[in-house]
Amino acid sequence: MMTTELKRTGLAGVEELYQRRGQRARELSEQGAKVIGYFCCYVPVEFFTALEMLPYRIQGGVNEPITEADAYLETIMCPFIRSAFDLALKNRYDFLDGLVVPHTCDTVQRIYDIWKYYRKPAYSHFINVPHMLQPSSYEFFKQELLTFRKSLEEFAGRKMTDEALTEAVRLHNENRALVRQLYDLRKPDPPLTSGVEILKTMVTGMGLPVLEYNELLRSVIREIRERGGGPGKKPARILIYGSVIDDISFIQLIEDSGANVVMDDLSTGLRGFWHDVEPTPDPLDGIVNRYLDKIYCPRTYRPQAETQEKDLDNRFGYVYKSAADFQVNGVILYVIRFCDTYELDAPDFKSYFQKKGFPVLYLEDDYSAGTLGQLKTRVQAFIEMIA
Amino acid sequence: MSEKPAEKTTSTKATETVKKVRAIVRGLYQNAREAKEKGQFTAYTMTACQYEEILNAMDIVPVWTENYAGLTAAKRDAERFVLKAEAEGYSNVICGYVRVGLGFDALRKEMGKTPENAPDGGMVMPDLLLGCGSACDPRFKWYQALGRYMNVPTYSFDVIWPPVDADLDEVRNYYIRYQREQFQGLVDFLERQTKKKLSHDRLWEAISRSNATWRKWWEVDQLRKAIPSPMPTEDHYNAMVPGFYCCGTQLAVDFYEELYNEVKQRVDNKIGVVPEEKYRLLFGGGLPPWHTMWIFNYFETLGAVFVMENAYRIYDPVEVPSHVKDPLDYLAWRTFLRWTQRYDMAKKRSGIATVERLLEYIEDYRIDGVVTHATKSCRATTVGQIDWLHRLNEYTNIPSMQLISDIIDVRDYSEAQWKAQIDAFVEAVEAHKRRTAR
Repeated sequence: MMTTELKRTGLAGVEELYQRRGQRARELSEQGAKVIGYFCCYVPVEFFTALEMLPYRIQGGVNEPITEADAYLETIMCPFIRSAFDLALKNRYDFLDGLVVPHTCDTVQRIYDIWKYYRKPAYSHFINVPHMLQPSSYEFFKQELLTFRKSLEEFAGRKMTDEALTEAVRLHNENRALVRQLYDLRKPDPPLTSGVEILKTMVTGMGLPVLEYNELLRSVIREIRERGGGPGKKPARILIYGSVIDDISFIQLIEDSGANVVMDDLSTGLRGFWHDVEPTPDPLDGIVNRYLDKIYCPRTYRPQAETQEKDLDNRFGYVYKSAADFQVNGVILYVIRFCDTYELDAPDFKSYFQKKGFPVLYLEDDYSAGTLGQLKTRVQAFIEMIA
Repeated sequence: MSEKPAEKTTSTKATETVKKVRAIVRGLYQNAREAKEKGQFTAYTMTACQYEEILNAMDIVPVWTENYAGLTAAKRDAERFVLKAEAEGYSNVICGYVRVGLGFDALRKEMGKTPENAPDGGMVMPDLLLGCGSACDPRFKWYQALGRYMNVPTYSFDVIWPPVDADLDEVRNYYIRYQREQFQGLVDFLERQTKKKLSHDRLWEAISRSNATWRKWWEVDQLRKAIPSPMPTEDHYNAMVPGFYCCGTQLAVDFYEELYNEVKQRVDNKIGVVPEEKYRLLFGGGLPPWHTMWIFNYFETLGAVFVMENAYRIYDPVEVPSHVKDPLDYLAWRTFLRWTQRYDMAKKRSGIATVERLLEYIEDYRIDGVVTHATKSCRATTVGQIDWLHRLNEYTNIPSMQLISDIIDVRDYSEAQWKAQIDAFVEAVEAHKRRTAR
């Protein structure tokens, strides 16, 4: 396993790493580690860890105007992907040795060929992730992951043993458990930590080796518990549901408007940490089940239930449960424009939560700091309404 | 609202055979209503799901929801459905087809009957919703969302193909096996719903008819290489109806036979689309602007004819190995082969199968310019167009242009802007031709 000296600890360490994104990956790259960029929560990061590579979750930059990507990408597509590719064109991802893209949605699928052609990473691989959850889908996905494993082994120049994979599963499960512990610190009222601190930690973790991330999480949890206090009691406790938020500005806006963000189900938040990989004799089986079935992104089709009510429970029930557990009194549905799967779910999601008694604010945003002013007015009105 | 369009949106066609398509379209919706009255199963369906023959063999009458949305746009009667979907909370950037469909069914639920004066009598209330994961995400999300407006058994399945850089020898077997199992899952679902068994003999018959249909249609397109062009793109967008929406029927086989004969006769007699064909254009991608199909005729007033197109394309014929004896295996093989066509060339050259197809057309159809249509609500056919044009430029220097509007939503269309852009583009094509002729 990749073992390196952990230089940063606690919230100060998080702050430094958050402000200097990619810095740790860059350092490790300079020391000879292979760093592989990937999108979304559907790439089994255990594979990289088992081969002592660093998985780096690719981010965008809401504060960075898109200036280069316009020459390659249409404006009617996911602005997060446009932003990430814009950063790549500006050489901000020059520390990446490779790119792995899962077929999560139409736009992510498209960016694979484009990124590969114009950035020419030393290694690239595309994983087809079934949209369906029929028994044959699991077998297919296992075959896809075997193909991916073989391809990654060739790039690494060595085999991934089952022992190394099992150990990687253990480490990433530990990581998931630590993230859940961190999230639990917001269960009390007032919460012990803020949504901003949580998001900074999560974003920081996207570019760390799992051992370092686990150590960092332990230090952060310890510090928060020991310091007491926190953001203080506020009239509203908010859950945010959506895809990518990898900058604190929007969370900060909510927390400056009289609310605590106490829970999320975001692609960059808890979405990838709800469930562990179940240890199985063939470690790949546990990975297949977890990555295909246990990540609740709208891009996965959950087979129709007998009634509409049960169908909605199947799709959103886990969010409702966490909203209840965390005593939330308002839900923000944050959708990045042009994201078809979320946009097609939005009315269902909204009415589901409203029927359960939760006020919902549906925001369709452009993934740009430039829209914060408009969002602020709506967020403030929403918090005033629910407080 | 009147069924008569307030203004002309459709194109003037060159061939006589395609003029019969309007009646075929009307018949699709009428047939579905009659089938429902007789107790036959009807289903909302999508193109590219590769299940046409299965439905045909099981006597399930498809209602092609994308086609219906296009029809409402051509009638300039989409707005009330689009606005209804948006009032229901659906974003105004969601696929225009989907917004029409959701709006139509939301209105039907609200009014308790088919929306008044719906084009061609409207879509029948289906017994089944059959989505798939092929080509775009709305193909399964649309029907999932319809749970708000109808309590109808819904099934979705994957149609999946490998990326261009995959080693096909390594992945072929498990891709085809998965596709076969996905089709089997669909058949199991349909058998449970209809309480009828799928007859493999009937499925083979439907496959045979659809293969004959597509083969003849492909032969029509081979004829279209002729100069002057015997059949333009605007005709294709009518001619596609039997191939996509009546696939597996004798009607479709007969239609392309007749179209072939007519186009052959035009080729033999050098009958073109315009009196003087100055420029041969390729409609390079993006879905067509159903709200303004006469725009193709506008190009023709400038001497520019779209001689070929790359949207709602027919699948080129593929050779399924002769050892495949089971019809579902056959469909799985055919799906794989259809989607992986031109992968070999793409690996060697541009990296994208679509770009290879465009390059092939540019050469075979003697193309002078490429026009793509960025449709604001369709990620699947729009994202990547700029990239295609970049890559094309590495292998050909003919001019290209991207027009922007939507498939359905006329709010995203500006006639004045388009005409100015088209005029300038045709001038660029002319200049290029003059330069290369020297």
